[in-house]
Amino acid sequence: MVDAAAQKREKENGLIENVLKGRHEDFHELIAPYRRGVYLTAYDVLQVQADAEEVTQEAFLKAFRALRGFRRESQFSTWLFRIALNEARMKLRKRREVPFETIFPDEDDGGDYAPTMLADWREIPSEALLKEETRRLVRESIAALPEKYREVLTLRDVNGKNIAETSEILGISIGNTKVRLLRARLLLRDIFVERTQRKLKHQPRGVSP
Amino acid sequence: MKLDCKHIWRELSNYLEGDISDEVRRDVEAHVAQCRHCAALLDSTHNVLVLVADDRRMELPVGFNARLRARLEREMAIAGPD
Repeated sequence: MVDAAAQKREKENGLIENVLKGRHEDFHELIAPYRRGVYLTAYDVLQVQADAEEVTQEAFLKAFRALRGFRRESQFSTWLFRIALNEARMKLRKRREVPFETIFPDEDDGGDYAPTMLADWREIPSEALLKEETRRLVRESIAALPEKYREVLTLRDVNGKNIAETSEILGISIGNTKVRLLRARLLLRDIFVERTQRKLKHQPRGVSP
Repeated sequence: MKLDCKHIWRELSNYLEGDISDEVRRDVEAHVAQCRHCAALLDSTHNVLVLVADDRRMELPVGFNARLRARLEREMAIAGPD
C-alpha cells in the first residue's frame, strides 16, 4: 500500500528540487494546495482582507527566497505556515504597539474555567438565526478572541492541522497546544453563545427552540 | 473514577479530538449522561466548531490567485532562492 502522505511529500520534494535547480515556475504548483490555508490564517490574525492578502503574498515571497533553507525534517506546509504566521504577527504588531501576551496570563490547565450561562440552552439555536446572521456571529466571535487563541483555533479547527503540526507551527509544546486549544474553544463558545442570545433577545423571530 | 464537572471541562477539547483514553472517554460519557450542564457544554462547543469549519469555506478575494502569481513572477524574474 502506498502511503498518500509519503507520496505527497515525495512530490513536494521533487518540486522543491526543481525550483532550487532553476525551474521557478514549479513554485506555483508547490504552493497551490496552501494558498487558501495561508490566506485564512493571515485573515484570522489580521481580520482585514487587504492585509491578509498582502501578508499572504509576503509569506510566499519569503518562502520562495528562503526555500534553500527549508530543512526536510519538518513538513513543507509546517514550515510555510510558520512563515505565514510570523508575517501576520509582524504586520499586526506594526498596527498595534501594545503587547498582547500581558493581557492574558500564561497557560494553565483550564481548571479555573467556568462556562457562562448554563441555563436553558442545550444546543446553539442556529436554526433560530438566519444563515447569514449565524455566519456573521461566528466571524465576530472569532474576531473577538485574543490573538493567541485565534491562532491556535485557526490552525486546528479552520485549517484542520493536527495537534502535532499546530504545535510545531506555533513553536510551543504539544501539551501547551492542547491547553491553548481547549481555552480557545471554550472561549469561542462562550462568546458565540452570549452574542447569539443577545441577538435573539433583541430580535425575536418567533422560533422556539 | 468518577469525574466532576471541572474535570469534564478540562477533557472537553481532547474528547472532541478523540484524543483521549478509553477509560476517560467512558468516564466523560457516564458523567455527561447524568449532567445536563456538561452535556449542553459539550454539544454547544461541538456545534460552534462545526459552524466555524463550515463558515471558513469562505471565498478568497476575487483575483487573489492571479495577483499572487503575478507578484511571485515579478520576484522570480529578478532572482531565484538565495
